[in-house]
Amino acid sequence: MSRHAQENVVSVVLLAVFVGVIILCQDFGTRARMIPLPLAVFGIVLTLIQMAWHNFGSTAELQMDMITVQAPATPGGTEPAAAAPQKPREAAAYGIIGILLGLVYLVGIIPAVFVFTAGYFLLSRYCSWPASLIYTAIFTATVYLLFVVALEMQPYHGLLAPLFE
Amino acid sequence: MIEAIVAGLAALLTPQALLFMLIGVVYGLVIGILPGLGGVVAMALLLPFTYGFETAATLALLLGAHIATIWGDSVTSILFSVPGSAKGLALCFDGYPMTKKGQAKRALAASATGALLGGVIGAVFLALCIPLIRPVILALGPSEYLMMALWGLTVIATFSEGSLMKGLTASVLGVLTAFIGLDVVTATPRFTFGSEFLMDGISFPVTMIGLFAVSEMMKLAIKGTPIVDRALVQEDSTVWQGVKDGFSHWWLVVRSSLLGLWIGVLPGVGASVAGLAAYAQAVQTSKTPERFGKGAVEGVIAPDATMGANEGGGLMPTLAFGIPGGESMAILLVAFIGLGVVPGPDMLTKNLDLVFSMVWIIVIANVAVTLIGLAITPWLARLPSLQANLMVPIVLSVCFVGAYATRSHIEDVLVAAVFGVVGYLMDKYRYSRANFVIGMVLAVMIERNLHISLTLYGDDFLLERPIALAMLIFVLVTAGLPFFRNWRRRRVQAVGGAAAE
Repeated sequence: MSRHAQENVVSVVLLAVFVGVIILCQDFGTRARMIPLPLAVFGIVLTLIQMAWHNFGSTAELQMDMITVQAPATPGGTEPAAAAPQKPREAAAYGIIGILLGLVYLVGIIPAVFVFTAGYFLLSRYCSWPASLIYTAIFTATVYLLFVVALEMQPYHGLLAPLFE
Repeated sequence: MIEAIVAGLAALLTPQALLFMLIGVVYGLVIGILPGLGGVVAMALLLPFTYGFETAATLALLLGAHIATIWGDSVTSILFSVPGSAKGLALCFDGYPMTKKGQAKRALAASATGALLGGVIGAVFLALCIPLIRPVILALGPSEYLMMALWGLTVIATFSEGSLMKGLTASVLGVLTAFIGLDVVTATPRFTFGSEFLMDGISFPVTMIGLFAVSEMMKLAIKGTPIVDRALVQEDSTVWQGVKDGFSHWWLVVRSSLLGLWIGVLPGVGASVAGLAAYAQAVQTSKTPERFGKGAVEGVIAPDATMGANEGGGLMPTLAFGIPGGESMAILLVAFIGLGVVPGPDMLTKNLDLVFSMVWIIVIANVAVTLIGLAITPWLARLPSLQANLMVPIVLSVCFVGAYATRSHIEDVLVAAVFGVVGYLMDKYRYSRANFVIGMVLAVMIERNLHISLTLYGDDFLLERPIALAMLIFVLVTAGLPFFRNWRRRRVQAVGGAAAE
């Protein structure tokens, strides 16, 4: 999907969010919806303008940085457009978040830290498996001491915990 | 006043406060040096540790860490042209060429000295302005606070990076996100979908952990390669050279500090803009501007002095009005809420000693950062590359545990993950994450003051409060000015183009 199409998809998602807010606001009293309702309408207007400029106008029209106002000729002052990341790597990044989240919910927060960190070191071949285990054990122990012992955080034990009780 | 100054210092001289400041400074330096992580992440990750300790010690931990990240950010910009966060960008222009010329030690030392001098000037300004600003604060009511919150919102949105519409949209999204949960005025559950967890609202620290730390780790995982992979040339400068540079360019330091203070006072403009504006100012006022971009030490001193002073300026609207001067100040506001401290007039009357504690923290933390920084500079010049495969699992794990530790709700981990993805997408499509956070923080202030104003003065509260009306006009002018400037610049270019043809 082209960057142009992706921008349009984002705008459509935003429109859906703002419309959803307006619909939900109908159930609130006058005071409770006093700010969210007009704000959602404002959001729709902004998104439509953004879409219109994006599709029918010059994107330069929308650029207005503090830097260009204060110092038009700063070297490197304007950020170059980010290169499109490789799609498999981007999918992997989403996967990393999903895996860690899943582990936290399944096995609990501290075991998830151990499994995720050790797994990441091994799969990325950052170091050998004995070194991975040693580094991970030290790191997990540090996290445990900081959060569970020092902060007295009650650790979450995970959805699988009842199976082991 | 004198009593408050002494009490402010005395509160910091407890073993706990001193230990917390030292921990904060060392931690801030480490986080600042780690590419991709800046002051916001440092403070967001520290927030779970701040509950249940002395107020002064907590603030020493947070502010100490934040101040240390300023110089920490500069380190990677100077050594590897990799800004630790957006505010370190200006340091790349001349710091990196200095490193390439074998002057890394000089550049790092000049940067630390500039940040120290700027930080001290900023703290002195904050202390001097407190008595001046007190009567002004006491004359303001909820209507005026409402206008100031609106001003904060428009300034942020107007000066947002990239697309103006996207900046405004991000602010709107942030405000709407803050409305999730039980309405504080009418006790109406809003956007909760029947969830008990959402009745409590979305936690600010968790949102920020997701938006900034998790999304930055996603970016690093996508990039995959070590960020720092450059071989350094032989070093031929000394730390002492850099220290002398900082003091010999004292007029540049003063000018840059004043600029940093001004930008800091403007809510939401932030240190990243301050650094770039300082660099531009240094170039424009130099007698030899052609040296810039090729390793001029002034190009390192000016941004650091500005960013150091920016903290003092940023604290002013944060303390006096409850309007965060930037992302980090927004986190400080969250910490205030956790400590039961209410920014605003009370801060400058009942909590004046606490305000002076913060002034002292800025001074002491800046001195500590500079001393530590100068001591470790020779080793930093040899800093090995940090691989993404090491950083991603460790930082992500800490983020998720930190999100859970905030309220001991497992749903907060999910919220951090969701906002991590949202933050990544916002960054990818250039919807300002900073605007989102500031919008989220200001939302409650806007809504509460609007309802109080309506209750106290009725629907025509603007007519009842002429100062508020004048402020509203100011807000509209401030919001409209960039549009006008943009239009005029375009018109001049069009006329120039037509004349050339």
